[in-house]
Amino acid sequence: MKARTVRLWSVVHTWTSLVSTLFLLLLCLTGLPLIFHHEIDELLGYAPQPEAHASAARATPQVVADAALAADPGRVLQYVSWDKDEPGLVTAFTNSAPDAAPDGTTVRAFDAVSAKLLGPVGVGPMLIVLKLHTDMFAGQTGKLFLGAMGLLFAVAIVSGVVLYWPFTRRQRFATIRDSAARRVRWLDWHNLIGAVTVAWALVVGLTGVVNTWAELMLNQWKATELASMVAPYAGKPPPMHLASLDDVVARAKQAAPGMEVAFIAFPGTPFTSSHHFAAFMRGDTVLTARLLKPVLLDGETGEVADARALPLYLQALLISQPLHFGDYGGMPLKMIWAALDGLTIVVIGSGLYLWVARRRKRAPAKADAFARRAPVPS
Amino acid sequence: MHGSSDRARLWIRVFAAPGLLATATITGLMAALLWGTVGQYVAWVTVGAPIAVVAWVWVRRRSQKAGPFLPTKRGK
Repeated sequence: MKARTVRLWSVVHTWTSLVSTLFLLLLCLTGLPLIFHHEIDELLGYAPQPEAHASAARATPQVVADAALAADPGRVLQYVSWDKDEPGLVTAFTNSAPDAAPDGTTVRAFDAVSAKLLGPVGVGPMLIVLKLHTDMFAGQTGKLFLGAMGLLFAVAIVSGVVLYWPFTRRQRFATIRDSAARRVRWLDWHNLIGAVTVAWALVVGLTGVVNTWAELMLNQWKATELASMVAPYAGKPPPMHLASLDDVVARAKQAAPGMEVAFIAFPGTPFTSSHHFAAFMRGDTVLTARLLKPVLLDGETGEVADARALPLYLQALLISQPLHFGDYGGMPLKMIWAALDGLTIVVIGSGLYLWVARRRKRAPAKADAFARRAPVPS
Repeated sequence: MHGSSDRARLWIRVFAAPGLLATATITGLMAALLWGTVGQYVAWVTVGAPIAVVAWVWVRRRSQKAGPFLPTKRGK
């Protein structure tokens, strides 16, 4: 590789890293507790726990819906969801109107057997950490900004791989030059940790970027696929009375055999039309549990109107989520995720240190050169 | 001819280990997603491999540093 090419890649690596450093540190530091958010919420008492029951007969969806409405008088149901990993809980989302702003949504957990209110969900300190991690309290703009920082991170990684060759080709793999200056030792650590974690960092970085586009993708789906699904019902008024949720769930299961309901969106919410329920169905493997299939049902009769697989870009979004969160391989994978996150912090921190150290080293040299050039006063 | 084969050998020497670790990581990430419980075990080993390498280098360095200060038999 020519010296000029190396310099060029070095400039790309330095500046893509420097511009994104502060935000990447924020993402890594907030990402660390988020890996264990279930455990932390449980520890701090913010995770509702299901009651112990002798019988396994679960409350019907309509009973849970009634309990949710009774817990939040004067408001309406937006969504009811069933988490595969929390079979003892049913989560209900209520708001002042089906299409009201998400900030006004109240999320509560109910016991899956007794339909008893267990408590609020998604509150406590982890909510602040989550908001910092996803949008820095700046809404969609914050999300897209962090996505752009993620793209810079990906460019920094690729340029780092290119630079790995000229910087390490004279050394054996994993050489740390102990006899050399501290800056050189940190350069070796930076190169080693960066090289061994490159695939993980790229996957987590790029899936994070994809996640920042979630709202844009959903809007695109609503404007195209969902619009064509509800087109035959255009002009139909919102339902005067809603079909029983028990009927809706039973018919959705018939329309998607072998699948379970992940969540139901009520008519008028952003995930469906003003006249339809949308049941989002999931499979039973790690992969198919992520790939949701929407089934559209008439809001008044509960009859199935349409059922289609999600488009590829939304499937990519759904698959990218576990690859970003690291929550699909049990506690050992979570711990590995945390360790790799810690190593990424070391790479970012050492990169910053190397940049500062190089500038400090250059400063006296520049001053000497200036002093040599300066005319001697007579 | 020699120049290009030497260069290829050098290229392999530089990128073989990081390349293998990257392949192992990707395999593990996909395995946990596609192969259920067995995939999880594969992921623990392969995604954890980079951490093992860093830990090995750190321990090796510490033990090399500690080497000269180890007690030696007097007179030898």
